[in-house]
Amino acid sequence: MVFLRPLFGVAALFALGASAALCAEIPIPAAPTQWATDTAGFLSPQTVDQLDTRLRDYERTTGHQVLVYVAPTTGGTPTEDWTVRAFAKWKVGRKGLDDGLILFVFPTDHKVRIEVGYGLEATVPDAVASRIIRETITPELRAGHPDQAIVAGVNSILGVIGGEAPGPASTSAAEGSTSQPLTGIDLFLIIIVIIIALNIIVVMVRWAARHPGVFVAGTLGGYSGGGFGGGSFGGGGFGGGFSGGGGMSGGGGATGSW
Amino acid sequence: MRWLIVLGGLALVVIIVIASIAGTYNRLVTLDQAVQSQWAQVESVYQRRADLIPNLVATVKGAANFEKSTYLAVAEARAKVGQVTISSTAPSDQAALDKFAGAQDGLSSALTHLLAVSENYPDLKATQNFEDLQAQLEGSENRIAVERMRYNKAAQAFNTTRDSFPTLLVAGFFGSRFNEKAYFKSQPGAETAPKVNI
Repeated sequence: MVFLRPLFGVAALFALGASAALCAEIPIPAAPTQWATDTAGFLSPQTVDQLDTRLRDYERTTGHQVLVYVAPTTGGTPTEDWTVRAFAKWKVGRKGLDDGLILFVFPTDHKVRIEVGYGLEATVPDAVASRIIRETITPELRAGHPDQAIVAGVNSILGVIGGEAPGPASTSAAEGSTSQPLTGIDLFLIIIVIIIALNIIVVMVRWAARHPGVFVAGTLGGYSGGGFGGGSFGGGGFGGGFSGGGGMSGGGGATGSW
Repeated sequence: MRWLIVLGGLALVVIIVIASIAGTYNRLVTLDQAVQSQWAQVESVYQRRADLIPNLVATVKGAANFEKSTYLAVAEARAKVGQVTISSTAPSDQAALDKFAGAQDGLSSALTHLLAVSENYPDLKATQNFEDLQAQLEGSENRIAVERMRYNKAAQAFNTTRDSFPTLLVAGFFGSRFNEKAYFKSQPGAETAPKVNI
């Protein structure tokens, strides 16, 4: 029996390896740098821009990372398999909250999928995602109106999740609240925080110098990890593109064809 | 004076050994916890699907002349799933996991059959309730595939560490606390994602 165990392990590893090889057929592209991405030339550039601005503002207002991603095809990989791995690789949604969502469109495959992060599964249940696809997106796609289809889909999705700033996106209301110049008080607070942080670091380094070899790497490593772990900076007010916040999905959502 | 140095050296060796055992133990605990929480995910997605069955059966029963054997098969498979109890901790017993997975796969195929048959009932298919149920079932099947795969990955990470030297010695020392985890074997045809909709 003792001799059989390693065999068991090898067989299991082999099975895993086989499934891993199957999964690895089509590599998942690197995380998009924008909220709306079209690598298939399926949507008009204006629509992509509008969606991008709107979804960026949506993240700033609500914290939810909602993306639109159009790629020609998954290359024979089942849609759901491809999208759940892309979601995990891109880390959409905030860490711990997993409150992201991606609307995928694969024009060559004629597939649409709404992939829902764990944390939004209660807000956007499968049946709701499926209704959005069936009743809003695919009818327009069948009618040959890709821009309308995706914009209407995003309208429905943001409507379900809620919290979008009122008024048309990217106009004064949304811009004004997020990109106001720093006031004197803000600067004052920032400086105070920096001074406190510097003090803590100095104290730690001094302490570490007096206790050579004890937890130096651990303590300092833990600090930097904690400080810069969040990905929400990418979506913050620094004019950067999209960057994942560390979220996950577990295969929730719905798929549709047209 | 000399015996003091020897004693000190011995104490140092003992401390190093204990520290390394503690480190190994803690690493195993961390990996074990990852498997346990992933196992809980697997159980919850299976439960989620099981919870859909009564509503599904009631819905198709209501449709005129729906093939009775089809939904009876689903109800039967659902009952079988209920009978196969498995520990609420991640299983180390491969046979028990195979039995559990077998019952669940039985329910999967009964459901697939039912949804295929439902194609013959356009009136039923057109109802909002049925369409929602179908979306929920597809979502459940997809979640099951995802969580099973993640469970296998976590189990593999645990087993690889557990069976490597010298962790193996530490794992053995703690008896059944760190038994190897069992894997879900992919059922034939599982390479393609479950295709519930036709």
